[in-house]
Amino acid sequence: MAFIAPDRPMIVPLGDSGILVRFGEQLDDAANRAAIGFADSVLQSPPAGVEEVVPSLVSVFLRYDPMQSDFGGICGELRLRLTGRPSAHSPNTHIIEVRFGGADGPDLEAVAAELGLDAPGFIARHNALPLRVLTTGFAPGFVYCGFHPEGLVLPRRQSVRPMVPAGSVLFAAGQTAIAATDIPTGWHVIGRTAFRNFDPLTDPPTHLRAGDLLTFRAI
Amino acid sequence: MALLRIERAGPLVSIQDPGRFGMLSHGVSASGPMDRRSFARAGQWAGAIDGTGIEFTMAGLALTLVEGEVFAAWDGGEFSVNLNAGRLDWPGYTRLVAGDRLEISVGPGGNYGYLRFGGKLNLVPVLGSVATSTRARVGGLSGRTLAAGDVLEIVGVGAAPRSPQMETREKGAIRFLWGLHAELFSAEVRQAFVAARFRTSAAMDRMGVRLGDESGVFSAARVLSLVSDPVVAGDIQILGDGTPIVLMRDHQPTGGYPRIGTVITADLDRFAQIRPNREISFAPVSLDHAHRILRSQTP
Repeated sequence: MAFIAPDRPMIVPLGDSGILVRFGEQLDDAANRAAIGFADSVLQSPPAGVEEVVPSLVSVFLRYDPMQSDFGGICGELRLRLTGRPSAHSPNTHIIEVRFGGADGPDLEAVAAELGLDAPGFIARHNALPLRVLTTGFAPGFVYCGFHPEGLVLPRRQSVRPMVPAGSVLFAAGQTAIAATDIPTGWHVIGRTAFRNFDPLTDPPTHLRAGDLLTFRAI
Repeated sequence: MALLRIERAGPLVSIQDPGRFGMLSHGVSASGPMDRRSFARAGQWAGAIDGTGIEFTMAGLALTLVEGEVFAAWDGGEFSVNLNAGRLDWPGYTRLVAGDRLEISVGPGGNYGYLRFGGKLNLVPVLGSVATSTRARVGGLSGRTLAAGDVLEIVGVGAAPRSPQMETREKGAIRFLWGLHAELFSAEVRQAFVAARFRTSAAMDRMGVRLGDESGVFSAARVLSLVSDPVVAGDIQILGDGTPIVLMRDHQPTGGYPRIGTVITADLDRFAQIRPNREISFAPVSLDHAHRILRSQTP
């Protein structure tokens, strides 16, 4: 199999009504930026027959109607777009206020200790730089944000918590994620925010877009 | 206008419409009927003026028309249906008047049946759809399944009911396309996957159907953790312990388990209807073939 890279994406069918354009095998900054940029440029003028464009961590999913369109035609269009310059939208910046630790973030102390820090030191380093929204996925309004520098990388927990409440701020794999609904998770729970990135009564139902910048602030 | 009251609801009885498409980038999968073509046919029988209807599971449901009158029709699987004391045909339709009680109960086959009406179920669409998402908890009645005592309003008068073209369903292997991660499995595992027989389990719902792998096709297959990618209905995902699971209409929006293949759209309806503890097998087809099958299906 040819090596996939941000400048050598792979276009494959995903079922008989979907296409996946992948910019990497592993999650990294370049693959994620390439996916977001490509999704933005396709969304500006989707090829005929494309009904949905979904940016993900390192790929872009496109849904088409197989009764009307054929895979080959859409792929040809997509290859043309790939040669153009990606035209990412200008990102918005958001401030996310977080209550770190305590009952809101039961794993904070352990996470800090594992990284050789105390809790205030971890919070300061965690909040030092803005994070980029990598994608929305896994659950309604759930955002993955990255990337933390090397000293702030931990694997997920050994066990999964069956339910953490909406607003939980999660930490693992060099990323911080925000749950917008109650979810099960194997990530470390470090805090909670009042911000909810999912409101089904508004359209669009989410506030954050892939590529936006988040500044975390302790309250 | 008509009012109906749910008198009895089996598990996972839900309001559906064709689905809430276009919301995957917000983390919401489309939902919609588990057996789309049966849902559509029930709508034709009923002369439905819109896409709303009720999906029920093996135990069925019972309802009373409290007020007004309405055309009702049923299809999907093989259930038993009674209007007041009299047995009716499956599939079929009738006109309900105030005081009528319609009882649908378990029959010889299928997991999902549909009840559609001439008028439309009067519900507020959420993100463009009334389809209940058991995962995102939106649609239908506050995103929940139906229960005894729920009252539903039907507005508008249906078109003339028409008999849909009956469908003859394939019986053989479930056809699939090799998936995103097929090449992460060895040639031996891929060969064993298409040669083996799997067994549907009782762990099935609108999110997915777990399969028994008695011949141990995936018992030794170990794939490293993968970066999450978008998921589609029909994806055949292999969990860390080797359990295969076919993701269905309320699937998670993204997933990081390896997917060996995806059930073709044309076969997902009949797969959804296969009861627990039945043997199934999978047969690979090409993308062109999947499209040809889909285009030749009865609408």
